[in-house]
Amino acid sequence: MNFFTPIVIAELISLIIALIFLFKDNISFWKVNIAYLIIALSAEARGSYLSAHHRHNVGLFNTFVLFEIAFISYGMYYCLKKYTNPRPVIFTGLGICYSIFIFFTFKNGIHAYNDVFNDNTVSVMSLIFVLYCLYYYYKLLNDDEVLDLKHHPEFWWVNGVLFYYFGGTAINLFYGLFNILIFEHIKLRLFIYYIINIILYSNWIYSYICRAKQRKLLY
Amino acid sequence: MPLFLIIYIRSYNRHKKNHLLEKQHMQQKFEAEILQARIEVQDQTMQTIATELHDNIGQLLSLTTLTLNSVNINDSEKAEKKISDSLSFINKSIRELRELAKLLHGEQVVENGIGYALDQEVNWLSKTGAYEIEVNNSLVDLIEKSPDKDLIILRLLQEIINNIIKHANATAITFNAYYEDKTLHLQVKENGIGFNYEQAAAASSGMGLNSIYKRIEMINGKLVLNSSPNHGTNILIEIPYP
Repeated sequence: MNFFTPIVIAELISLIIALIFLFKDNISFWKVNIAYLIIALSAEARGSYLSAHHRHNVGLFNTFVLFEIAFISYGMYYCLKKYTNPRPVIFTGLGICYSIFIFFTFKNGIHAYNDVFNDNTVSVMSLIFVLYCLYYYYKLLNDDEVLDLKHHPEFWWVNGVLFYYFGGTAINLFYGLFNILIFEHIKLRLFIYYIINIILYSNWIYSYICRAKQRKLLY
Repeated sequence: MPLFLIIYIRSYNRHKKNHLLEKQHMQQKFEAEILQARIEVQDQTMQTIATELHDNIGQLLSLTTLTLNSVNINDSEKAEKKISDSLSFINKSIRELRELAKLLHGEQVVENGIGYALDQEVNWLSKTGAYEIEVNNSLVDLIEKSPDKDLIILRLLQEIINNIIKHANATAITFNAYYEDKTLHLQVKENGIGFNYEQAAAASSGMGLNSIYKRIEMINGKLVLNSSPNHGTNILIEIPYP
């Protein structure tokens, strides 16, 4: 199996662009993006490496889910706080996600941490993030201020999240349906997963560029 | 689905942006109209003052000078009467000057409310003595206030009165003004020569009908005009207020 999967490539490009455009940003959320991309890239690269050597990588991705929940929740908190006090919503979401994670980790057994993927957490997390995105759009549309959405970094960041987790929810719901081979070694499920990852990182890259432009205009 | 959602959000946002621009444009138009109305009110006030000074106070003071000049101190009886007449002329001049001083505060007319402004206009008109005037004005005690609207309503009223003076050949004018259900009702009725509404509306210049309608539109009001040749004119105005 090739080490440089489309996801690794997308994450690598994202990380490079984030380093170029966000390194000097004085808003912590944008800087945290760099840290998250480093973690995501490391996890994905390590996962690919383990997979290439026919070793289990499930434990790695189970751990990564914990970071993913925290980062996306933090991002949504940052985007929503301009319109409302998002603490109750975000903390409820975090509570639900982590509770489910802990519950299923213990239910499956600690010894199975490296063998059984915590897909229940991922399903619930995806649904919650989609709802966050819809809530963000609702607040955005009801706000009195009219934004130039074409160049609004938060809007594009949330768009990426929506595409990715909506796609992710669809994959989780129709798991069996997408289990067919479309290329020699690639299942439809994996192919869609590649596509939604590329969409996610494309949106995020664009949002980083918008953020750099915005910062230039502001300071 | 997310793609359609994002397309929808962007188009909604664009629509919101256009709506906001349109609103800003309307607001600017409204402010320009208010400014114009303010200038016109000031202009009218100045004209009134000039006329008053020339035709009324000026005449009174000239008469006083003439009377005082003709005083013969030896004829004490006549002199006393002439001095007394002169004093009454001077007192009258002072009263007129006080009225004018009030008018000089152009803004004060509307600051005291539309009811007061209407009273002032009617008083001014009645002074000409050319019309039999009937007034039912219950707006004097009106608590609700909207200075910007008041200014436009006053200008509207002045325009209507000007039209009556210039074109109507009326002998009697009735003013009815009252406030009901958050709506200000104004009625101006006269027994003049009337006019053909369609012809007047079609003419671009003339009686200032366009300007009246434009002003009514600015304050979301409604105007009903009933007129026909030889049957006078009846104007009914309804304005959401304040």
